[in-house]
Amino acid sequence: MSDIEIKTTPFDARFPNTNQSKHCWQSYSDYFKCINARGEDFAPCKDFKKAYQSLCPADWVGKWDEQREEGTLPFKVTV
Amino acid sequence: MQKTIQSHPFHLVEPSPWPLAASLALLTTTLSGVMYFNNYANGGLLLTLGLISTVLSMSLWFRDIIIEGTFQGSHTSKVQQGLTLGFILFVISEVFFFISLFWAFFHSALSPTVELGCMWPPAGIQVMNPWEVPLLNTVLLLSSGATVTLAHHGLIQGNRKFTIYGLIATIILAILFTGFQGFEYINAPFTIADSVYGSTFYFTTGFHGFHVLIGTIFIAVGLYRVINYHFTDFHHVGLEAAIIYWHFVDIVWLLVFIFFYYWGS
Repeated sequence: MSDIEIKTTPFDARFPNTNQSKHCWQSYSDYFKCINARGEDFAPCKDFKKAYQSLCPADWVGKWDEQREEGTLPFKVTV
Repeated sequence: MQKTIQSHPFHLVEPSPWPLAASLALLTTTLSGVMYFNNYANGGLLLTLGLISTVLSMSLWFRDIIIEGTFQGSHTSKVQQGLTLGFILFVISEVFFFISLFWAFFHSALSPTVELGCMWPPAGIQVMNPWEVPLLNTVLLLSSGATVTLAHHGLIQGNRKFTIYGLIATIILAILFTGFQGFEYINAPFTIADSVYGSTFYFTTGFHGFHVLIGTIFIAVGLYRVINYHFTDFHHVGLEAAIIYWHFVDIVWLLVFIFFYYWGS
């Protein structure tokens, strides 16, 4: 059991406070900008995905995924 | 009227109904405003009555002050200084009111929330081009600041025609500004209900416009009094107050233009 690695999102000095909402949003936004710019298989994008998956409330991720499909995402993730 | 000599330069006013009338009118206005917003019966009617009685009380009170100062000679230099200081303090309180509106704007605009998509302006808001009508309005107000200063200097130099023309020009520029703002409001691509962007925009520009209307009336009263020989070259506190108020309105507009129209787009 000791060889299972358990970790969470590392400290990001841009978001030093307890409220990590902005950190969640930034990671989600950065992940999709990353794969839009570099392709889905670009490995370094994975870190952003892991970050938003652990930081963000499931509701938020679900809502943004839906908005992405409808094309109504209120922020840009292209280019 | 004065029947005794006083050994001090101050004006101890005679009993007047206007302070009480004004406060009752304001009480009616505020309470009925709440009634109106909450759909209580007769809210709208009482609100109208409240607003009318507020305007009436103020007009009759100011009329009495003009009578005391211009026709009864109660406004010595000391009294004039007191009135000017009091008016400046009032303008400072208005400045704080606008500070609250700007605070609300910066609170929302400097760190846009996740719900807005961390963007300002929020996605979907079609901002107004600052270099079209807003720039014209800026030029109109700056020019009106110049014309009102010219009129003031005309009064001090005893040039009656120049003073009157300057004040008329100021009022025309003010009316043009108000007209263009009205046009912008009618043709705007977003409303007050369009997210916090619309709220902060219309609250601030709306209250600014209301102050422009008040300032315009204030200057118009000054014009009326110049025409009717109320003022002398060095005793015209009413006009000086109007001019101070007008410059305040102008400066607030400059800040609105820079932060809401230019920076906020």
